[in-house]
Amino acid sequence: MNGRRRVAITGIGLITPTGNGTAATWEALLAGRSGVAPITSFDASGFAVRIGAEIKAFDPGDWIDDRKLLKGANRAHGFALVAADEAMRDAGIRPTEETGARWGCVVGAGMMGVAFEELATVQQECAPEGQLDTDRLVASPHMADPVVFCRSQPCAGVGLLLRRFGIRGYASSVHTACASGGQALGTALKVIRRGAADAVLAGGFDSMLNPVGLGSFCLLGALSSDNETPERASRPFDATRNGFVLGEGAGFLVLEEWTAARRRGARIYAELAGDGNSLSSYRITDSNPSGDGPIQSMRAALADAGAAPGSVDYINAHGTSTLMNDRAECAAIRAVFGADAERLAVSSTKSLMGHLISAAGAVEAAVCALAIRQSLLPINANLATPDPECDLQFVQGQARSRRVRVALSNSFGFGGSNSCLVLRNPEEVDA
Amino acid sequence: MSPRILVTGAGAVCGAGKSPEQIWEAVVSGRSAAAPIRQWDASTWPVPLAAEIPDFDPRVLVEDRKLHKLIRRSDLFGLYAAGRAIEDAGLLAARERLDPAALEIFNDRCGVYAGSGGGNYQNQYEFFPLLSTAKGDLAVFGRELSATVNPMFLLRSLPNNVLCHIGIRYGLKGPNACVTNHAVGGALALFEAALAVRAGEADRAVAVGHEAPIEPEAVLYYHRVGLLSREAVRPFDVDRDGTLFGEGAGALVFETAEAAGARGAKVLGEFLGAGSASEGENLLGLRKDGDGLARAITLALEDAGLGPSAVGLIVAHGNGTRASDASESAAIRQVFGAEPPPVTAFKWAIGHLLAASGALEAVLGVLAAGRGVVPGVPTLRRLDPACAPLPVSPKPQEPVSDVVLILSRGFAGLNVALLFRGLAAPIS
Repeated sequence: MNGRRRVAITGIGLITPTGNGTAATWEALLAGRSGVAPITSFDASGFAVRIGAEIKAFDPGDWIDDRKLLKGANRAHGFALVAADEAMRDAGIRPTEETGARWGCVVGAGMMGVAFEELATVQQECAPEGQLDTDRLVASPHMADPVVFCRSQPCAGVGLLLRRFGIRGYASSVHTACASGGQALGTALKVIRRGAADAVLAGGFDSMLNPVGLGSFCLLGALSSDNETPERASRPFDATRNGFVLGEGAGFLVLEEWTAARRRGARIYAELAGDGNSLSSYRITDSNPSGDGPIQSMRAALADAGAAPGSVDYINAHGTSTLMNDRAECAAIRAVFGADAERLAVSSTKSLMGHLISAAGAVEAAVCALAIRQSLLPINANLATPDPECDLQFVQGQARSRRVRVALSNSFGFGGSNSCLVLRNPEEVDA
Repeated sequence: MSPRILVTGAGAVCGAGKSPEQIWEAVVSGRSAAAPIRQWDASTWPVPLAAEIPDFDPRVLVEDRKLHKLIRRSDLFGLYAAGRAIEDAGLLAARERLDPAALEIFNDRCGVYAGSGGGNYQNQYEFFPLLSTAKGDLAVFGRELSATVNPMFLLRSLPNNVLCHIGIRYGLKGPNACVTNHAVGGALALFEAALAVRAGEADRAVAVGHEAPIEPEAVLYYHRVGLLSREAVRPFDVDRDGTLFGEGAGALVFETAEAAGARGAKVLGEFLGAGSASEGENLLGLRKDGDGLARAITLALEDAGLGPSAVGLIVAHGNGTRASDASESAAIRQVFGAEPPPVTAFKWAIGHLLAASGALEAVLGVLAAGRGVVPGVPTLRRLDPACAPLPVSPKPQEPVSDVVLILSRGFAGLNVALLFRGLAAPIS
């Protein structure tokens, strides 16, 4: 630990189903207001699942006065640009001509592919019978638009952020399914630690709430189909849980080298103190019931942070509200914390905002930073029927007041990538 | 004191061959894998050429047939190359000698890093029949969904498929990342893998870049934005007119000197340092002065504790487009002055493999440095005066040391530089 550069979280920006902006999101989480509702952005009436956690009343043009930039942005990129803007404003620092090369940008980006409307256009123009006709493709006017091409590139999101803020250092997009946002922050932490950057804009963004995205999760049977009771549909750790709720959104953090942040008098929410990631190497969609995989990521993260298990006061669980994830996660927490598991508080904020997929890890790390800052723990909503196999100390009913020394944010992805981030109260660093 | 990071295994597949050795042979004998596209009838297309894998057979690449339904073409390449690198490094044989407790540590301490290609357009064509049936009515789309679309669609589309299937297949459980950052994905996967091992997060790590960009929409779009050649990739040539797609994967195994020494591993090379920088321009824009690339090279040299004069050869990105080659030569001049070390590039022979390019070219670059040969670029006819002075030649050259600099560039002004030392060791 000696001589290693520490990393401070100095800015937060959130666009989530519970609110456009950090304050609105946080307030809804404390009040227990759900962001899950019937899907309105397209006609979902024929789908088995007709509910989702959508971003409401959102137009990036209301926030960002750069039409040209926004032309290159798809829906998720819009969330990212606005959340990143808020994080920069919140941190009170921006890259300049002089400092831009010492800034990095790491994002957890969604699955690659074109937007649904563009897929539908190509189908209508070039595959009317359902099979691609390459001659029609060559003739299609749709294929002549370079902006459509640019939007579909896997690095389009990070590219827009680099341009928007004049960031010229290390830049990367990562994707490990539901762990993407956590892995992006973990990568950013290491980039600052090794001295390759002094500050990093890091986060995640995603939007799969479209016919293909919703459809592909429906086909896997991973979603709750409680269409009549949307606000109760996401109920992590409840015995009656039956799947997750698909959400969308973005979360961004400004990370700065600790001493530089202190020197400029920045408000520090928390230290981003440790990152642990592992592969479950079990099955592609299944969790090992023993918690193997997540166990290693939590242990590695605690060791990386130099934090004892007994110092952890809050875990923002991955808690998807699927039978398998929630049980495996509880088994992993039990294995890592032993008797200490009795005194640490756990909640899954997916109970209110659904599962933001590639954005989830970043948004939930931001929630941990806010919990540390305000000594308030958001609830695990909808936990009415305890599952004996998920017997942890969940934050229920209403937000709990509690000083947090160390918080953990768990994110586990399809394919078995596990990410655990450790956040430490700045008072613990300075003590 | 940071540990030394050694390269102990390599694997590769592309249009020029199915092993590093085969690909190397093609390169040094001046054979390009560019040929008429076979995956669809492109004979009347403005760009009819690409460096496809000529005898593509999923079963040759991945024997587990059940897996074929769960992964994409790009994933087949990635799994194959990573598997070959793991075998080449002798990791499986080394594991057989371990007791259960040591085996668990070995697995938990082995990382997996992937640079994943994609943005696959045709991946989503699976929805075309459903869209055709629905005729714009999403209620019909929703109702007919499960009767029409493969339930495994989402799993097959996961960009991190190679990462998880390497893990499952070989039981590796260490730190990991899947980089989806266009054409620097593979180089960044190597970068992060090597630095994770250096930081002590793992004792060893497998890193792979994989890509399959040769599909109708991608070819057409790249052509329309002026990036593809009509006939050949001619890096730094005055008449260059663009790049050509290739497909495949490249993989390396990194280990600490201690871990490699403990199991008596053969050593192909040493990872020395890495740097990355971006330019913050438009997605397709590049600074003429090569600023981002020059800074990436400088950062890599600083990371390695080396001066420019220590570099023995440069494997340029050399994609054959007007803007990239010109700005790349400007960056090389900025760092190395009037007399850079010998420069080569491989895309004339294997095509541009986007997310796989940096990884595959690192495999070839380590070989070149180890064998003391800078392969010629036979498609080069006349050096563009705007790129001069640049010691690139149609004929083979001699490196001035065993240190190789590998350059990788991608959309959004992304640049990565990697430094390796090559060792004269046999390679399978």
